[in-house]
Amino acid sequence: MATEKTDVVIIGMGAAGGILAAELSKSGMKVIGLERGPRLTTADFSGQDELRYFQRQELRPNAKRQPVTWRPNANARAIPLPILNYGNQAGGGTVHYGAVSWRFHDDDFRARSQTMERYGVSAIPKDSSLVDWPLTYAELEPFYDRAEYELGVSGKAGNLQGRKIDGGNVFEAPRRREYPLPPLTADQSGVIFEAGARELGYHPFSTPRAIISQSYRGRQSCTYCGFCQAFGCHVGAKSSILVTTLPEADATGNFKLLTGTMCYRVNSDNSGRVTGVSYYGPEGSNNTIEAELVILAPFIYDNTRLLLLSKTKKFPNGLANSSGQVGKHLMAHITPRVFAAFDDRFVNIYMGPSAQKHSLDDFNADNFDHSSLPFIRGGQMSVSPADLEAGPIGAAISMNPPPGIPRWGAAYRDFLAKYFARYAAVVAQTENLPYADQTIDLDPDVRDQWGLPAPRLTYDWRRPNELARIEFLFTKLEGLAAAMGATRVWRAPMGPGSPGAHHEGGTRMGNNPKTSVVNRYSQSWDIPNLFIVGSSTFPTMSGFNPTLTIQALAYMSADAIVNRYKKNPGRLA
Amino acid sequence: MSTTRRTFLVRALVGAGALAGVEQPPNAEAQNSLPTQPHSAGERHGAFFNHDDAATIAAFAERLMPGAPGKPGARDAGVLNYIDLALSGAYADLQDFYRRGLAQLDAYCRKTYHEPFVRLEAARQDEVITALEAGNATEFTWPTPQEFFNTVRTHTMEGMFADPIYGGNKDFAGWRLVGFPGAQPIYTATDMQNKQGFSRTPIVGL
Repeated sequence: MATEKTDVVIIGMGAAGGILAAELSKSGMKVIGLERGPRLTTADFSGQDELRYFQRQELRPNAKRQPVTWRPNANARAIPLPILNYGNQAGGGTVHYGAVSWRFHDDDFRARSQTMERYGVSAIPKDSSLVDWPLTYAELEPFYDRAEYELGVSGKAGNLQGRKIDGGNVFEAPRRREYPLPPLTADQSGVIFEAGARELGYHPFSTPRAIISQSYRGRQSCTYCGFCQAFGCHVGAKSSILVTTLPEADATGNFKLLTGTMCYRVNSDNSGRVTGVSYYGPEGSNNTIEAELVILAPFIYDNTRLLLLSKTKKFPNGLANSSGQVGKHLMAHITPRVFAAFDDRFVNIYMGPSAQKHSLDDFNADNFDHSSLPFIRGGQMSVSPADLEAGPIGAAISMNPPPGIPRWGAAYRDFLAKYFARYAAVVAQTENLPYADQTIDLDPDVRDQWGLPAPRLTYDWRRPNELARIEFLFTKLEGLAAAMGATRVWRAPMGPGSPGAHHEGGTRMGNNPKTSVVNRYSQSWDIPNLFIVGSSTFPTMSGFNPTLTIQALAYMSADAIVNRYKKNPGRLA
Repeated sequence: MSTTRRTFLVRALVGAGALAGVEQPPNAEAQNSLPTQPHSAGERHGAFFNHDDAATIAAFAERLMPGAPGKPGARDAGVLNYIDLALSGAYADLQDFYRRGLAQLDAYCRKTYHEPFVRLEAARQDEVITALEAGNATEFTWPTPQEFFNTVRTHTMEGMFADPIYGGNKDFAGWRLVGFPGAQPIYTATDMQNKQGFSRTPIVGL
């Protein structure tokens, strides 16, 4: 058992933790990072092996050793989820993600006000806990800009200081300057998506991605190999935390990374301040770190789990949980998909970065009129391979054949042989509303490899507002696939009610300590020397992938800590 | 099939042959002789399966992905060898699943058709698989018929399409079937603009 002292301890070295490690260590603070998985390097990713990384999920948590359980409602028994869709190494999800990097819309930060102003309060489902964020897009914009330039994001502006630019996303909120790198080259699926969308009067564009289209800060540009989502990048062109901020933190001499470690408790004293953390070492040792500042930045389940496991007499309902809000408002993206097969041409969708290759934003957020529709909010649309990964195992597992063709036998073989290189999927990623009864708590029966209770999710997206949105988007996707010139168009079945990708919620941010867990700086209302950073703080989720917003919030927290909290440790106003 | 695609497949086949000897582990060499009868060297097993179970899995996988002239199937790809190796290694926790699933399949076939699965005609085997997929097969408790079907299907697809280092996808049979060029490290702007199948280089394995 070891005990050591430091200024700052950060739990989780992913999208948020890696940025905070770099920024705080550069300011002179002594930082220790705890990471559950290993620290890999670009050289570890030379094997472009679909079985190992996509099918066997080597860069993600082992669902048997680190179980997460799910039940559709509080009356059902929870069962372990078969696949866990987040990272399990230094760099977290940014190592294997598709690197899609959005700024949220202006109205994503004020979804409740926007809905009330345009459609009246009755448009909001009565059981939804839809709220505004405690900050505006304009307040976060400098940190989006910082993240894009520090990390390296490729794209084309669609709104430069209020000037709309065709070819970029004309629905985006104003940005101060262009992306640091031009858009990635479109593959054939992007070309036909672009043409089909234009024919329908939509506004398609190359998806902004944290994959460098040209060499940037000494890193090599993308080779378009296609082994992208689910894989580590074999040339380091993906702007993951491994190749961006961790080297910055290393260079300060103030940063120490402890891999293979599992934090199981945040320690606090009778005054209500946190004093550090306890963790298990890779060899099973039980250790303590004493720190002036504790930052939680693991995947969202572990924020709620750690707070609930760290309860004391002073915090009987879990640390930092005087509001009773810890674990509530779990959200996740649900992705209706339509397949398009082409008889007259190849698409070769296995070429190029694989996730959400080309996009349109016409049916996202409140970018379209919902007044005659039975739902609010929308979804982002894009063209992708079957499961955001483009190899033949992915196609065989994730692409259902069209009606009339079975999933096996000679007809299936011929279907796959003909269309593997001649198909595209068009996908929507929906903004599901927050609901207070969608929760994360501790499973009373299932424990993980460390003997800790598994996170338990209680969640079912199949609510009237969400079902109506999905049907609307399915129809738009089918129209789009037809406009792309597809010979055959068919739907993928929707899964059960379990959460999809990109989980959000559990430690919601807000303006009021009675109804939220953290303030706009991701600082606990109850405990000023505890920060909780990541998508667990999102009050609403938007139809966009969360990572760039997680990273902008991390830069915002780091800025507040370095420039204000350090001089006067207390609640940030 | 277009001329370009045919050209691609021919080139891919040549490339595969050239690379196979270099890239594959030593024990893959022995698989390169074509099977001459149902249980020959092309269906290597013995890491996990006994002879009868191996024959059943080989026949089952072949009905899921049947071979035909110019269309490599599960036997051509060595799917049995892939599953056998996986069950003795990465999927060792599924050994009991397979033992029980195969025993239940055998009981169902003997009860319904008075013959084991491998002795049934192809059309009868397809009836059995259809019943498993639909959950209609009796004699199953754990795994359920659908669980057994889905797992064998998934593993058959892995054996068809995973890199040959895992023991299946022999001579890139699966990748040749669907026109996948494998672990290419780079695609050029010209490759990305091509409306035809990719043919610039041979298939590449690990």
